[in-house]
Amino acid sequence: MKSGQNSARVSVVRAQSTRRDFLRAGAATAGLTVLGQLARAQGDTGTPRAATGGAPAVLKGADAMIKVGLVGCGAQGGVLLESCLPIQSPKLQFVALCDIWPYNLRHRVNYLKKFNHDPSAHEDFDEFLSAGLEKGMQAVIIATPDVWHAPYTVKALKAGCHVYCEKMMSNTVEGARQMVRAMKETGKLLQIGHQRRSNPRYRFALNRIMEAGLLGRVVNAGGQWNRSVRGSVDLTWPEKFALPQATLEKYGYANMREFRNWRWFRKYSGGPISDLGAHQIDIFGWFLNARPKTVMASGGRDYFKDREWYDNVMVIYEYEHSDQEITRVFYQVLTTTSAGGGYFEQFMGVDGTLKMSENDAITRVYKEAHADWTEALQKGVLRPIERAETIPTSLSQVSLLDVRASADLDAYELPVVLDKKPHTPHLENFFNAILGREELNCPADEAFRSEAAVFKVNPAIEAKAQLKFEPSDFEV
Amino acid sequence: MAEDTTVTSKEWFRDWTDETWAFLLLRLWLATRAIVTGLQKYWGVDEGGQPAFGLKYYKAIPDVMKQKFAAEPMFLSALAGPFYAALGPVLILSGLMLLLGVGTRVSLVVQGLLYVALTYGLILIKQDAGVAWLGIHMGLIALALMLARHNRLAVFRKW
Repeated sequence: MKSGQNSARVSVVRAQSTRRDFLRAGAATAGLTVLGQLARAQGDTGTPRAATGGAPAVLKGADAMIKVGLVGCGAQGGVLLESCLPIQSPKLQFVALCDIWPYNLRHRVNYLKKFNHDPSAHEDFDEFLSAGLEKGMQAVIIATPDVWHAPYTVKALKAGCHVYCEKMMSNTVEGARQMVRAMKETGKLLQIGHQRRSNPRYRFALNRIMEAGLLGRVVNAGGQWNRSVRGSVDLTWPEKFALPQATLEKYGYANMREFRNWRWFRKYSGGPISDLGAHQIDIFGWFLNARPKTVMASGGRDYFKDREWYDNVMVIYEYEHSDQEITRVFYQVLTTTSAGGGYFEQFMGVDGTLKMSENDAITRVYKEAHADWTEALQKGVLRPIERAETIPTSLSQVSLLDVRASADLDAYELPVVLDKKPHTPHLENFFNAILGREELNCPADEAFRSEAAVFKVNPAIEAKAQLKFEPSDFEV
Repeated sequence: MAEDTTVTSKEWFRDWTDETWAFLLLRLWLATRAIVTGLQKYWGVDEGGQPAFGLKYYKAIPDVMKQKFAAEPMFLSALAGPFYAALGPVLILSGLMLLLGVGTRVSLVVQGLLYVALTYGLILIKQDAGVAWLGIHMGLIALALMLARHNRLAVFRKW
């Protein structure tokens, strides 16, 4: 499936985007009343009615609205909800929320009411689905622990809803396959939450730097997500709001600690490599336009010894291109240190290096001294950075003694900024795809092929050997 | 001769001058400012990461500011503890007094003194914008005190 145009505006100048958004919002508001009246006068909204026979869920044009449900009202559910609220077109109406923990559920319901939404609240997913469909729900956002992604996604798709599901697709490969099969069987849309796929900065870098061949042959790539101990400690809960043990067990959780810290336990997730690494490993395959051929990895519970998953993982992939050339990729996820420069993906070619991150401040493009990027600079693909970034002085001194040391790299930044929350463009793409305005940027089948690289890391750690990828690893 | 502050119901609003309205609006603004600011100091985040209100969340000023103050040699450390402890409650109490019209002038003077104390700290850490912002508050308090004799709708208009 082809990836579609990014609905987010590429804001070369922030002020231009702000003015365009203002004018667009004003025009939409002015046109809303007229178009709405016309539609009602004509008696034909041109939209399919919900299966339950209720009121139309979506209108076309300036009146376009999508009724949405959210499952999983925890931290990530909150992030996605906040990312939905600024979306002006189409309009979104949250009609139902679902979470087994009333503490989170109440909080999100009350928050949405401040924005004139009035969602019903449910513990049980089937009740949530029924209630939502009664109100004409068309789309479901799933932000539960990974273990519930597959069952809820499959049910929602089969009930006739389009689904936006957070990554990883599932805590198991088979669960992920079930999701893709359900998507194909039902013909409904299933977007997986690799939000960088819709980030205009990433799309610009992919098109204008990677695909344009600016870096030359990319022999190596790397990436990391280093997070400090403070960001990795156990999540707690107010004792008075602890879930009854019976409720926890009903939904497969051993206790409150595992419920709150599911990312660290094997029954519910794949650990930090899937929780954090999946985003960046997805970028490797996407930017290199290749699949991994082999993987070797090492990891351990070297600090958080009371958890099940590894608190630090280091991985080496061999990505094989269509011409059998190899790009060797190193990735690490560390949860006991924030040193080393945060989180980024780096593509190191013979002519230059692209260092990408959702963080503008550490995104850079470096040119090797011998490379000629005149044309790219003239076209505005890159913006020189005023402060020269050079090899640190001590190394420069060493380079005087060792002629093999390389010359300093010229550094540039991308001329593109994202002036929205990181998840908003990806959600916009999903909702626009529902209306037929765009194609999904990360449909489930594409996400599955990407996540196959992540699923093999933990087995590689356990095998203590280099594992090979088979074609069947990428097939549903 | 003391001003006769008795007003019958028939005379309500008849003796309200522009100064009366001006004062009442100032009184309402300053009361709101003090009460809401005081209450905000009792909001924190619970173990689940959600906003929660209570005595255990009380924080007079952000920790970052406390650290900056503590690093200043002219900061009166001995008074810091009592000041931090009293700031929130005094803001709320003085705000309520002002809102209800109980000891209006006293509450205005108390707020003025609080803001002078806060200004001292902001000068030390060179927060000029904060100093200017509190300066506006001081101007409003001074104006309110000048107009206090036009006070109406007060529980107890003396003081």
